[in-house]
Amino acid sequence: MNLHYLVKELYHRKTRTTIAALGLAAGICLLIVINALAMAYRQAAKAPLKDFGADVIVQRSGDVPRELSGAVFPCSAVTITRAEVERIRRMPGVREMGVAVLLWVFDARRMAIVLGIEDQGNVGPAILRRYVSQGRFWEAGRPEVLVETAYARQFGIKPGDRIPLGGETYAVAGLVDASRVPKVATANIYLPLAQAQRIASASTNLRTVSPFAPSDVNLLFITADQDKTARLTSSLAALLGPKAAISTPESFLKSLGTLFALSDKFALTVSFIVIIITVLITFKSMAANVSERRSEIGILKAVGWTNRQAAMQITAESVCQCLIGAAVGLLAAFWAVEALGLVTINIPIPWEMSPSPHFLPGGGDPVFQTLRLPIRISAGLAVSAVVLGLVVGGLTAGLLARHIARIKPSEVLGYE
Amino acid sequence: MSDSPLLTGEHVSKSYGALEVVKNVSIEVAPAEFVCLVGKSGSGKTTLLALLSGMEQPTSGRVTLDDTDLTGSSENDLALIRREKVGFIFQSFHLIPTLSAWENVALPLFPLKMAHQERRSRAVALLTRMDMGRRLEHLPAALSGGEKQRVAIARALVNRPRIVFADEPTGNLDSTTGADIMDILKGLQDEAGVAMLMVTHDHELAGRADRIVRMQDGELGA
Repeated sequence: MNLHYLVKELYHRKTRTTIAALGLAAGICLLIVINALAMAYRQAAKAPLKDFGADVIVQRSGDVPRELSGAVFPCSAVTITRAEVERIRRMPGVREMGVAVLLWVFDARRMAIVLGIEDQGNVGPAILRRYVSQGRFWEAGRPEVLVETAYARQFGIKPGDRIPLGGETYAVAGLVDASRVPKVATANIYLPLAQAQRIASASTNLRTVSPFAPSDVNLLFITADQDKTARLTSSLAALLGPKAAISTPESFLKSLGTLFALSDKFALTVSFIVIIITVLITFKSMAANVSERRSEIGILKAVGWTNRQAAMQITAESVCQCLIGAAVGLLAAFWAVEALGLVTINIPIPWEMSPSPHFLPGGGDPVFQTLRLPIRISAGLAVSAVVLGLVVGGLTAGLLARHIARIKPSEVLGYE
Repeated sequence: MSDSPLLTGEHVSKSYGALEVVKNVSIEVAPAEFVCLVGKSGSGKTTLLALLSGMEQPTSGRVTLDDTDLTGSSENDLALIRREKVGFIFQSFHLIPTLSAWENVALPLFPLKMAHQERRSRAVALLTRMDMGRRLEHLPAALSGGEKQRVAIARALVNRPRIVFADEPTGNLDSTTGADIMDILKGLQDEAGVAMLMVTHDHELAGRADRIVRMQDGELGA
């Protein structure tokens, strides 16, 4: 292979080089962008759960409370017993688990969405201690609560005040910035889990809909082994029955309703089609290149080049065209991904995960988690696409060149 | 001139299906001999040139070049023989359009392990000898027909061959340029001791060869 000749060919055959390179570049760019999009949507679908450090959120829906007074369960989240919690904790694939109790508490003056959370833990609403904007987090064992900022403003509540809740009075330890709190855990008042369990188990109105013992809960947040999530979801559904509401990144992905969410195999299918089209375009372009150069190959052979030397020269030129194509494709993909990264998407939060009662103003409105499309090109994806392009181009050109290098000079140099 | 022939064709025939283009031809070319093969269009002279140069394999008969039997040699062996012992000049020049004049001349040297500078200096020396010293970096598209043919002649000589096969080298040139090219070829034969086998239908040019071989209907005439 002669590098000098190769460079001259690429330089002086600009149109041919450009067409061959662009065909491959388009394929590589498409392949990268499609897969990056698919990964981005998968990533986005994890967002509603990611803030809790959870992969799965488990609820069980129940009947509507007969009377909206005292403490009641939202109909989307009724009792999950302690026995069930323990069985779930032992299920294969469960790595860590957080629990919570979600209540609506009505009194004569106001209604409050109340969330009982664990004091410690990396999974579930226990992480809310990070979002305290005024005052402090409560001290363990003391009757203290946190109040959501907007709710506090509406009712003039400040840290240090005392507020009645479920027949008892609690000190307000601090305020929580709701705008930073994950949508599925937005409440008006946050209090220690044990306090919420006590309020729930003491409520006759609540127990008539769903029996509740002081150690039961109604929300589970699970961190699971990625490869066992699907199996775990089935086990949870089997244990909790038909009213189980199990939220996973896959369920959010489906709710996004994009092409990428229609099927797990969508990106794979499109990638396969793109690869086939790229192979065909590359083959056609390489075949045209090689065919155009029949007489040139005849000259090379006539002046003493062997089949192998001629084939190597043509193949090396094609591989260089592929390298240029791969570089251009990669660059175009980076630009496209940068542009797509500016797109904002809304992830719909299912109504059963929205803690707001539908009968309050705005309570029935769809709830979304809005975020920038978290699209990026992984090194693995970029390398795979480029290697694939080079292999496709190199193999195609190599086969064609090997075939065409067998021609005899007399076949193409115009003898009588 | 040595008595031992450089090139020998013995009872060489070539058929394409039922059509016999070259019929039982026997011919010899001595070292440094200038032989012109003349004949009408379609007489089979170019096919005979292809057979004798190893570009084509004969249907029957035997071709020997410098004691090497070309008949039955593999394509790769023939390529190596051409690289070492043979030069070609074509009517249509057959230059590589993307390479400059000197690069076209150096083309037969590209597969050899040789420094870039050495290739260039050999090519430049030949082109300079042919008054092409100012056109070294020009692409073929920027050269006249006569200049292209000078480049082609230099290319045929760059590997220092024992024999040059020329197929109508003046066929695409006007008579003045054709005569110049003929002068160059004749000079090379005299200076470098290269044998020449040239196909032409120009009897005036053929008259300058050491020997004229006539061909008619695939057979050698008197």
